[in-house]
Amino acid sequence: MNYSLFITGSPTASRACHTALDFAEALLSDGAHQIHGVFFYEEAVAIANALAMPPRDECNIRNEWVAFAKQHSVPLYICIAAALRRGELNEAEAKRHEVANHNLAEGFLLEGLGSLISLTSESDRMMRFK
Amino acid sequence: MSTLIYLSSSPYSSTTIKEALDLALVFGTFGQDIRLAVTGEALALLIDNQTPNARQGKHLHKLLDGLEFYDIEQIYIKQDEIPAATSLWSGVTALDSEEWLNMLNQHQYIYRF
Repeated sequence: MNYSLFITGSPTASRACHTALDFAEALLSDGAHQIHGVFFYEEAVAIANALAMPPRDECNIRNEWVAFAKQHSVPLYICIAAALRRGELNEAEAKRHEVANHNLAEGFLLEGLGSLISLTSESDRMMRFK
Repeated sequence: MSTLIYLSSSPYSSTTIKEALDLALVFGTFGQDIRLAVTGEALALLIDNQTPNARQGKHLHKLLDGLEFYDIEQIYIKQDEIPAATSLWSGVTALDSEEWLNMLNQHQYIYRF
């Protein structure tokens, strides 16, 4: 079955991103399912902040998601409007808004909500993590 | 594919309802069959004569009249949640508990906010 994941919970104030990764790993463990894409919205977009530095003895959920996505070729989409509202920009958006810095971590793609619509229509199941 | 945006958060305590309505409008823009359900604290969205200032939050009630332009024409509320002495936006469909459950079952996807 073809799944997509929709994550809205904060990576620090909730366990949504962690639980979603557990689910994603379990889903792909036996080869019976695929993940079409992962869309981060609302507070979950904070996962793509390259400047967030959890203590070294704690889980770095951003890096774990990026490693998982790279291993399984799963795209990680960050809602562009939600990200900009919360101070997350890639280089192109930093230029567009005329600010000196950008902080979107490598491995994440800034996309509009249209990408979520596409994931919804192209997947058998959309799993929500809040 | 019918999709329901299910609103139960307060429209003024966070940006959740704003971002939920943004999603609904994009679904509409893409020509999807999209409907809204409004319950619990989200009912405050529907109360007429709101005058929030910028610091309190975006005037989301104003968005309601524009929903039809995105072909969002079904906004459901629960019959037993209609406040007695408060005027609500007129474009809603009130459902009893059985109709509410049937309505939920009619949607392939439900996004809760």
